Amino acid sequence: MNLGVRPEPDRDSAPWWEAVRRHELTVQKCGGCGTLRFPARAVCNHCRSRASEWVPARGTGRVYSWIVNHQVFMPGMRDLVPFPVLLVRLDDGDDLLMYGNLAEASPDVLRPKLRVEAVFEDVDDQTTLINWRPTVT
Amino acid sequence: MGTFRDRTAIAGVGYTPFSKNSGVSTLTLAVDAILAALDDAGLTVDDVDALATHRVGDSTPPWVVAPALGVPEVTWYLDQFGGGSVSHSVVGQAAMAVASGAARTVVCYRAINARSEFRMGGTGRGPAQIFDVQYQAPYGYFAPPQQFAMYARAHMNAYGTTSEHLGHIAVGQRANAVKNPRALKRDPITLDDYLASRWIAEPFRLLDCCLETDGACAVVVTSRERARDLRHPPVLISGAAWGGGDSFFSGAGSGPSGTDFTVTEAARLAPRLYAMAGVGPDDIDFAELYDCFTYSVLVQLEDYGFCAKGEGGPFAASGALALDGDLPVNTHGGFLSEGYVHGINHIAEAVAQLRGTAGDRQVPGAEVGLSTSQPGYVLAGTSALILRSDR
Repeated sequence: MNLGVRPEPDRDSAPWWEAVRRHELTVQKCGGCGTLRFPARAVCNHCRSRASEWVPARGTGRVYSWIVNHQVFMPGMRDLVPFPVLLVRLDDGDDLLMYGNLAEASPDVLRPKLRVEAVFEDVDDQTTLINWRPTVT
Repeated sequence: MGTFRDRTAIAGVGYTPFSKNSGVSTLTLAVDAILAALDDAGLTVDDVDALATHRVGDSTPPWVVAPALGVPEVTWYLDQFGGGSVSHSVVGQAAMAVASGAARTVVCYRAINARSEFRMGGTGRGPAQIFDVQYQAPYGYFAPPQQFAMYARAHMNAYGTTSEHLGHIAVGQRANAVKNPRALKRDPITLDDYLASRWIAEPFRLLDCCLETDGACAVVVTSRERARDLRHPPVLISGAAWGGGDSFFSGAGSGPSGTDFTVTEAARLAPRLYAMAGVGPDDIDFAELYDCFTYSVLVQLEDYGFCAKGEGGPFAASGALALDGDLPVNTHGGFLSEGYVHGINHIAEAVAQLRGTAGDRQVPGAEVGLSTSQPGYVLAGTSALILRSDR
């Protein structure tokens, strides 16, 4: 889904977006206490360490909540509604949440704790986004 | 925080008309509301020495409003960045300024053309670039109805909350607005009307959403002693609290919410607020709960301790929130039906209830009221006041 809204990375999140562009899903790992964190930021809120590295995430999670958007909040949505937006709890950690659209399925499959996996969508020549598709078991 | 309990009061309240297109600037709205509030208090511009507001790049700041009014000298002002979540902290901070001696008479105002100029959530312009927008906006997720719909769904998933539960809130508040001459929406609605209203962002329908309103409202804060000499019985600022943290962050373990979106910052703030006022939920005669959406009322019923976590839906559906119920809520119709001035019209309505001047919608014997702001879902943080009559 290309709305024409590009993410605007900040100085903390730029490496995360660059990894997504390479089709790699990562989270930050604290160099001090090892806690995984997301969204990106420079200082750990457990041990206050500034050391961190980007580590691969499993790329799987469970649907925590979702909406199905109908309102055309901006002109670019007109041909896209209705579309779902998901909030996913990553399997890497209960407090790691990521947003995304639903891929390769219709909204009626959505259930609490539905298992999903990340897929990468190259929406234009600069931008890649993470979306989520139901895991086939 | 306990040291200024009951030391200050709201002595005046003023409104502009609410509309969908005011045709005037936010500066004009601010001036009109402030002059009305001063007149209500029996004061003049010459009595004003401080101004306080909040904005999100959508209104006119105190240092423009003060010279436009002709305020002789500004000794203190507050120009707080923020939306509905800080709406009640503006009055709380004004109370602190008066209690500390930094100011004598503060006019607190909020002036917005929220329909004709700056619609909330960036509709009609680019979304505001705050920290978490980058992770959301590319997916078409940035407008407040979408955000609160996401939280409402989390509550439904966890506790079995239903659309009908939300609908009872919309229907009940409209019934209150029918009795409010100032309200923009005064036609009664039924649960069927609610369920038939169009989808905005499932699980939210049109009637889950507040109005977008042009208008302004102002209140005058001064000392209790001085207020006693003015036109109306003082409404004391008994409790005031604000604060919060961001629940989208992993590891944000400083509050009850963490990444559980069924709990808001209000759950953390409420004990501090009640402690300052020396009351508890059972002492609250009525509550004006921030209702940007139906769901924000439901979750605050839980987080301010009026029912157990997860019971907000059945509690709302029980009739308890009606004017003759155990806990009348949003007695003016709220943002859903009176109009949306980002929080301050809840405070103004609480003042009317505590003066006993709320007319057909008066809660009999109202002595202690709770008024709250956006409970901390967006831009984190929340704020609230406990007001009481000076009897």
